[in-house]
Amino acid sequence: MTSRRFFGERFTRNEDARLLRGLALFVDDVHLDGMLHVAFLRSDYAHARLISVDTAAARARPGVVAVYTADDLGAYWQPGPLLVAPPPIDGLVFNAATQVPLIKDKARHAGEPIAMVVAESRYVAEDALVDIVVDMDPLDAVVDLEAALEPDAPVIHEQHGTNLASHVVQQKGDYQRAHREAALIVKRRFHYDRGVAGALENRGVVAQWDARCEELTVWDTTQAPIPIRSGLARMLGLLESQVRVIAPFVGGGFGSKIMMFYPEEVLLPWAAMRLNRPLKWIEDRQENFYATTQERLQIHDAELALSEDGHILGVHDVFLHDTGAYNPYGLTIPINSQCTLLGPYDVPNYYTEFRVIFTNKTTVTPVRGAGRQHGVFVMERLLDFAAKELGIDRVEIRKRNLLSSDDFPHNHVILFQDSAPLVYDSGNYLPALEKAVDLIGYDEFVREEQPRLRAAGRHVGLGIVSYIEGTGIGPYEGARVTVEPSGQVRVATGVGTQGQGHYTVFAQVVAEVLDVDLDRIHVTTGDTREFHWGTGTFASRGVVVAGSACHEAAVAVRKKILGLASDALGVAENDLELEGGRVRVKDAPERAVDLGELAVRANPLRGAVTPGTEPGLEATAYFGPDRGSTASGVHAMIVEVDRETAMVEIKRYVVVHDSGRVINPMLVEGQIQGGVAHGIGNAFYEQLVYDDTGQLLNASFMDYLLPTATDVPRVEMAHIETPSPLNPLGVKGVGEAGAIPTGAAFAQAVEDALAEDDLEIREIPLSPNRLFEMIRDARATR
Amino acid sequence: MIIEGTFPFAAPREVVWELLQDPAVLAQAIPGAKRLDRVEDDRFEGEMHVSVGPVSAAAFSVTVTISDKVSPERFTMTIEGKGPLGFTRGTARVELHDRDGGTLMKYRADLKIGGKIAGVGQRMLDSVSRTMTRQGLEALNREVQNRLAGISVGATSRSPAVRWKLSMVLLLLAIVVLILILRLA
Repeated sequence: MTSRRFFGERFTRNEDARLLRGLALFVDDVHLDGMLHVAFLRSDYAHARLISVDTAAARARPGVVAVYTADDLGAYWQPGPLLVAPPPIDGLVFNAATQVPLIKDKARHAGEPIAMVVAESRYVAEDALVDIVVDMDPLDAVVDLEAALEPDAPVIHEQHGTNLASHVVQQKGDYQRAHREAALIVKRRFHYDRGVAGALENRGVVAQWDARCEELTVWDTTQAPIPIRSGLARMLGLLESQVRVIAPFVGGGFGSKIMMFYPEEVLLPWAAMRLNRPLKWIEDRQENFYATTQERLQIHDAELALSEDGHILGVHDVFLHDTGAYNPYGLTIPINSQCTLLGPYDVPNYYTEFRVIFTNKTTVTPVRGAGRQHGVFVMERLLDFAAKELGIDRVEIRKRNLLSSDDFPHNHVILFQDSAPLVYDSGNYLPALEKAVDLIGYDEFVREEQPRLRAAGRHVGLGIVSYIEGTGIGPYEGARVTVEPSGQVRVATGVGTQGQGHYTVFAQVVAEVLDVDLDRIHVTTGDTREFHWGTGTFASRGVVVAGSACHEAAVAVRKKILGLASDALGVAENDLELEGGRVRVKDAPERAVDLGELAVRANPLRGAVTPGTEPGLEATAYFGPDRGSTASGVHAMIVEVDRETAMVEIKRYVVVHDSGRVINPMLVEGQIQGGVAHGIGNAFYEQLVYDDTGQLLNASFMDYLLPTATDVPRVEMAHIETPSPLNPLGVKGVGEAGAIPTGAAFAQAVEDALAEDDLEIREIPLSPNRLFEMIRDARATR
Repeated sequence: MIIEGTFPFAAPREVVWELLQDPAVLAQAIPGAKRLDRVEDDRFEGEMHVSVGPVSAAAFSVTVTISDKVSPERFTMTIEGKGPLGFTRGTARVELHDRDGGTLMKYRADLKIGGKIAGVGQRMLDSVSRTMTRQGLEALNREVQNRLAGISVGATSRSPAVRWKLSMVLLLLAIVVLILILRLA
């Protein structure tokens, strides 16, 4: 479209100058005159009836301005919204129960807020928490997913009379026939346990009510500023134009900040208006372990039916999904699990059934991967076990089952999280697998290196797995592109940014159309005053959906530019081109006009315009894809296991990734490297441990281990670009990809390294301790 | 959390039993105990103020109910402790056996712990509670020796009429847990 290339280049990030110099605004950087500070009293019990709360002593403490309990909220006390309605699946059971701002009748998980203290400082507010006298009557807790459904189990939400939050069956083809015709059935039980999102920046909210302007401003670490704005306006009885929500720079979201509405997000704006003082609450790390949503406990009973030559005839999977105390996010996670399980494979028959269970644990909403890793883990593990039983090489069994490039679009029939049928838009899986085999040196490793190292007493192993990832779902996002009289370009979109590089990639998208230097394109995200339509940053969709909207808006502006330039230069539009912030005549480049000058002409101060003329070089566009685009990839790793300590070192990590057209390889690689770090954490370090009373036993980074830089190798990457036909940029999402297949690859690699122990790893996360037990048990049973 | 173990006292069971009835003795053995009141026959309420290093905590209230008491053999305590940093609930069983001319105490507490203590204290709970249980029992043993030698400590140490509950050993265990909180805070 332009003479210079802006796509596919490694442009450094527009936002980094601010971030690296400490000039980026985060929520905690907001300091306002007269600002008060908020602390929350949270339930120690996971399940307990609330009998009384006495706040008199707290109110009397010097420096305390207000203390609120559920009763003080009056009609403002409402359960949160159901964010995602369940898809229209026949026979679906869905019992909704959404979170409340402050506990009224009982606590349903440890850390649920009971009271809110507003004080002159956070120190005073925290001291005042101790003054509050709470009487609670502890109840038996629901922790175990299977016990939760027993008839004598305590019930968390009495109105439903059961801990069953949902029951869904989806089918493709006829699994029973596949089962009858199969030469081999591989049947196993798999566990995948909980972890935190672990963003560097915890959550935070600052709320300010300006009584003169009658305007509420909220700085929030949310991934969804526009829905927060809309919801607050409705709850507080304000016009949407009276509420401005700003999600400034945010230090990582990973999904838990897409959850709405957290109690704190509802309570601070309300109290700020009541008190007519600005309020600040910044979550501390310990609160984060209890009060910020988490993910990942599922138990799968799965079987794979295969022909003698290793072709998949069908999959049967029945699983339990832990949604914690509430289910505001509907069925997104378990549906992702059932849809991602099919992977890049041709699976003609599929029976998938799940039950979602309420438990007395922190609420579950999507965290990077959002259920996809479970599906990948189950499928890839089943393929590994099948390969072993059939005596087929593990790469070969995958090759035999991959969809071919002629199979697209491929309809898997069952419904995806966006309520549309699971249709893969495009893909090219075999070359990705072959490239990964090549990059990791699979043949040489298996033939020479591994035998040589084994002979020397070393336990090295290789893991290689394929996956797909549904990305870039709707409904829509929008963007506005404006050329200013200075010639600089403003781009505004509604999605928030949490470190992905939106300021750079959206600028590239616009530059590709307008040919303006990247440092003259200024991107604003996540400020509802700048752009006020949209949904948020989630589901690996920022560039796919908001990026496409930026593109469409830029194309509309380009049209205006060319029309004006044609008039100004007296040359037909077809004979013009954009270059370096100017429009010039193709055959006579010295005849040119600056974009800034055209912007001035587009906003005349006197004279007349043709009726219907819109002022300015500005356009707003919206983009909503028919359905999500399907990214894919292969992860391969080589590990060495110390058989005495069960410590695992990842020696090499290869990712071959296909997220469609790559706009900025550096940003894509950054997403993958970070995702792999997250995945390694899930695989071997991170695990939330709850006891049978629902108490979290490792609510600090002393005991909950994040992988450190020394645990995460530099990922070797290759890109395959199979454009998506579903958006004008041909892009697919990449934000979650790195974290999805890591556990499956890790399990295979560790098994391979410990071949002599003949382990079967059917659970994630592992840990040195757990792996040690498995090795010990394997020895004992031989 | 299970805390269990045995502890030998160089004294007959009856002496140990009597000692375990004496709240003042126990209060001295328990760091930070401010108050131990009998509110019903077999029900006691206590309050602890514990400071560790630079941290001084607010009061923890502890309620202990005694059951299944057979003098001088055994008793069971039901414990509930609550404070700003968490709670503990559970039961503890204490048995006294004749052993080598002295007494062997067997104890087993099954405590549910919640709140901040549970969340951030796990790595220390086990070892610290064991250590502190032992320290408390050793302090009691010293008092046993003093009694046998005819010396008393504590203003009210010779008041068997108070019929204090053995509960205090268990209270000790509960308190150990609470103290942990402070170490972590």
